[in-house]
Amino acid sequence: MTLYQRADPAALEELVRRISPPLLRYFAWSSQGWSQAGRNDAEDLLQDCWIRIHRARHTYRSSEPVMPWIYAIARHTRVEAYRKRRRPQAREVLVASVPEGRYQTLPEAPHQQDEFDRLIASLPEAQREVLVMLKVSGMSLEEVAKATSSTVGAVKQKAHRAYATLRRALGGAVGKDRKNAE
Amino acid sequence: MPNNPVDADLERRLETWAASQSDAELHPEIQRKVRDLLTSSLTPVKPLPSQSRLVLAFLAVFAACAAGLIAILDKAGFHLMTGAQIIWMTAILTAGGILFSFTLGWRMVPGSRQRLPLSFVLALSGFGTIGGIALLFPWRTSGAFFSEGLPCAVMELMIAVPATVAFWLLARRGALFASAGLGATLAGLSVLLALTPLQFQCMFQQAPHLLVWHGGTAAILIGSGALMGALRSHRRIS
Repeated sequence: MTLYQRADPAALEELVRRISPPLLRYFAWSSQGWSQAGRNDAEDLLQDCWIRIHRARHTYRSSEPVMPWIYAIARHTRVEAYRKRRRPQAREVLVASVPEGRYQTLPEAPHQQDEFDRLIASLPEAQREVLVMLKVSGMSLEEVAKATSSTVGAVKQKAHRAYATLRRALGGAVGKDRKNAE
Repeated sequence: MPNNPVDADLERRLETWAASQSDAELHPEIQRKVRDLLTSSLTPVKPLPSQSRLVLAFLAVFAACAAGLIAILDKAGFHLMTGAQIIWMTAILTAGGILFSFTLGWRMVPGSRQRLPLSFVLALSGFGTIGGIALLFPWRTSGAFFSEGLPCAVMELMIAVPATVAFWLLARRGALFASAGLGATLAGLSVLLALTPLQFQCMFQQAPHLLVWHGGTAAILIGSGALMGALRSHRRIS
């Protein structure tokens, strides 16, 4: 990151290569889940986010971890995009099918994961965001707290609620499976 | 190790889910597009100074402007106040200035740890000022409540507005993302800067006057700052 601040093109390339995939997953899961529409949206958000990271690169301090800084910008990008989209959406009529995009050729999530994907996608946005940062991006509680301008306690609470919701849903599913087996 | 079968199942599914996300790589075309876009404007940048230096800069501006205005303006209020009133008001205005300077410093850098939430800083400064005025200043009003109060409100406005611009010029290199919180922080710091010389200049040291004309104007200015921050953020979006 420091080299990127010094305008090293190799550092920029490395940063884009390493940071883009987790950011794409964050955007996809924070919006519509890892679906076709989610992926297309995420791709647009990713490009917008990189422009913001580029403009704000002087605000990064080498003494601080890079992930909370990146994710704070990503979060801002996502919130602004959500607000922007919310207004025209009120006047739009939903189309019957989602148009095909670049990711059509990529494999979909495995069948056994579909149910769990839907479960994750059904979580409240704030809980899903924390879960994605902790589990998918591998950030610590402290890093997530910094990225979301929140406290470690609040992050723990959101993660706990997400776990409780998932546990309840899975508990129901396990109960159903046992009944069917009997 | 989770002892409940549901917990074990949840952990296993979460691990599988997280691992499956890592397989979904970014399209190389998008990666190339991003890289090309950024490379065209890649120039060396000077990182922001440390948090402590930023806070010190805000405090230096706050102290210099407050001291300068106290020296220039009339000090009638200072002679009318008791020792306890002077100590409390100086302490609360200084503490408020320090807290808002730290808050502004945290807001300048994305991903900074917000050690104190803005709502807490606003509540502490607000209740400290209101409580101090309500307890330490006499509850009486003169007949000319409006004609005496209006010049104080105008004076507060005349100091706070340019001060907001000055603090914005200092903060704008970092605070790239306008928000209601940033607007309220800038306005809060400027309002405290305006209240400091005004407290020592005002010759109506009574609780109703101070609460309505000094405190009320401060609340309106902070609210306006928050509104302007929110509007600026929305305008950029649309």
